[in-house]
Amino acid sequence: MLEATQDYFEAIHDTDRTGALRAVDEALARGLRPEDVLFQVVLPAIERIRGPEGQACASSLAQQYMAAVIAAELTERMVPLFRSAPAVSCRVVMGNSRGDFHGLGRRIVVGCLRAMLMEVVDLGLNVAPEAFVDAAVSSGARVIGISSMMDHTARGEGGCRAVRRLLQERGLEGTIRLAVGGAPYRFDPEMYRAVGADVWAPDGLSAGQLIARLARGEAA
Amino acid sequence: MTPMERLSAVATGKPVDRLPVFCNLLDQGARALGMGIEEYYRSGASVAEAQLRMQRRWGHDNVWALFYVGKEAELLGCRKMVFAEDGPPNVGEWVIRTPEDIHRLQVPTDLADHPAFAETLRCARLLRAEVGGKVPICVYVTSSVTLPAILMGMEAWLGLLLTGPAELRDELLAKCSALVQAEIAAYRAAGADIILYSIPFASPDFLPERLCRSLALPWAARDLAPGGLAGIVYYVGTARMEGMAAEARRQIGVEAFYPSPRDDLRRLRAELGPSPLVAGVLNDIELVRWEPDRIRAEVKALVDALDGGPALFGTMLMPLAVPERSIAVMLEAAYACARRERA
Ligand code: B12
Repeated sequence: MLEATQDYFEAIHDTDRTGALRAVDEALARGLRPEDVLFQVVLPAIERIRGPEGQACASSLAQQYMAAVIAAELTERMVPLFRSAPAVSCRVVMGNSRGDFHGLGRRIVVGCLRAMLMEVVDLGLNVAPEAFVDAAVSSGARVIGISSMMDHTARGEGGCRAVRRLLQERGLEGTIRLAVGGAPYRFDPEMYRAVGADVWAPDGLSAGQLIARLARGEAA
Repeated sequence: MTPMERLSAVATGKPVDRLPVFCNLLDQGARALGMGIEEYYRSGASVAEAQLRMQRRWGHDNVWALFYVGKEAELLGCRKMVFAEDGPPNVGEWVIRTPEDIHRLQVPTDLADHPAFAETLRCARLLRAEVGGKVPICVYVTSSVTLPAILMGMEAWLGLLLTGPAELRDELLAKCSALVQAEIAAYRAAGADIILYSIPFASPDFLPERLCRSLALPWAARDLAPGGLAGIVYYVGTARMEGMAAEARRQIGVEAFYPSPRDDLRRLRAELGPSPLVAGVLNDIELVRWEPDRIRAEVKALVDALDGGPALFGTMLMPLAVPERSIAVMLEAAYACARRERA
């Protein structure tokens, strides 16, 4: 393991933003390639903060936030320095459902996806069902991710159910998959079925991993 | 026994007919009165009337003088609440957008005649006039370390909290703490018995333990010290409190805990010891789809796990989507399981 990998992970773990950026800058100064910064330092930290697959994420929200948000920033800084531009694998549309003004979960998921070199169309807060579908069609996205913090914005008629209905009506079900997440889904792990989603994830880092897989056309 | 006698007896280790049953119905009040949600929350008289009607109908052991949490942002200048017809309203604009806004933030110190609080206090007084001393009157206060989430958004707040500048963070926390203290004083004067003190940022689900200990809990102690601990119930927003509950008790002195359905009650009891009051909280989001048999089994399992010290049964912030017949089954089961032999 690179020295920077451990230093960076420890800084993220301690929610020490300055320390995390210092670890990266020192590594670059020692000659580490920007590609390696991303793939050997930043992404492994997301995985370690997330912990073993199949188990509940053991880290706090603050640590997840650090891992995802700094990863997105560093991705933006590193990618232009790559020797050859990386192939952007696929596109994802993300937003909060209608009436929902709780953006942090979505931002963590988006940060992860960007660090995985996904192209994300982030529609922000309070998004109408039609806007999700229109954005997915016009950008060629393969996954729509919908975040909701309250029971009524998850389950209600302005959210995933309505998006599912639009996909059906427009014959898009074969091409566009639906992922959901947010507090209510964590209290009822079966709720994603009731609202017509294909998948859900309990935390931002596994959400990033899951959506990336879906977008690549792999089974979730 | 009246609900108040029941709660006082449980808290002081005296015999009771059954454990207290708290049922947190908020937006349901609009339906009880046949009103739209926005209209309903315009008047403290409506909220009080609906709380009383629902309590008489269902027989549970508490009433609420809570409208919605966004009210606290209104107290600090927020003018845009986004209402829905199928759930609670949300803060729709941030009062704090720049560091300057933090310097400028004005905290009202006397809430007794603050326009954004008048109806809430009116509701509390009406409840006191009707059921004071008989049914515990509950209010809700967001801790200083959590309040900025609805003033500037969770993301900006987490950023400021974790990466500073520390002076700016502390300036905001001091102002929020002043508001919390003023709220508690005003609520007590209006007749509140139970103050649900909400501090999700002291959950290890939110912050690493180091920060729960060194930042969140010291600010909680500061929020609560001037008014004392009478009626304070420690609540981390239904995030988990396990692992940090005993530390909260040590730092703040609280003796009543309202955990998450995802906390293990037996482990929590072991952590806290036999004397504090611990609520068993039903997952009312799953309640939306549970069939009657499942509801009864879940209620029973929850009440069984409450052995070992003073306890009550409670719900989270019950979604409007929970069918009335499920509420009825839940309460019947709770009343039956919570029965205790009076010595
Ligand atoms: C902190 C908190 C608060 C704080 C701050 C809220 C805020 N964010 O602005 C305060 C105390 C102010 C608050 C107030 C309210 N709250 Co609140 N709150 C919580 C709490 C404890 C955590 C929510 C949170 O912010 N989590 C952090 C975020 C980042 O987590 P997350 O959204 O779950 O996202 C993670 C995953 O779910 C996933 N994810 C998120 N999006 C997506 C998307 C996809 C596609 C995928 C795959 C994954 C994914 O990744 C994220 C990162 O790990 C929860 C209970 C709980 N234990 O979750 C209640 C909770 C969400 N609140 C609830 C409610 C009702 C409210 C109020 C509406 C109450 C009221 N009647 O006024 C108000 C609304 C305030 C407002 N905005 O106007 C309910 C919602 C359920 C319901 N009954 O409808 C909850 C569940 C509490 C409960 N158990 O009853 N709340």
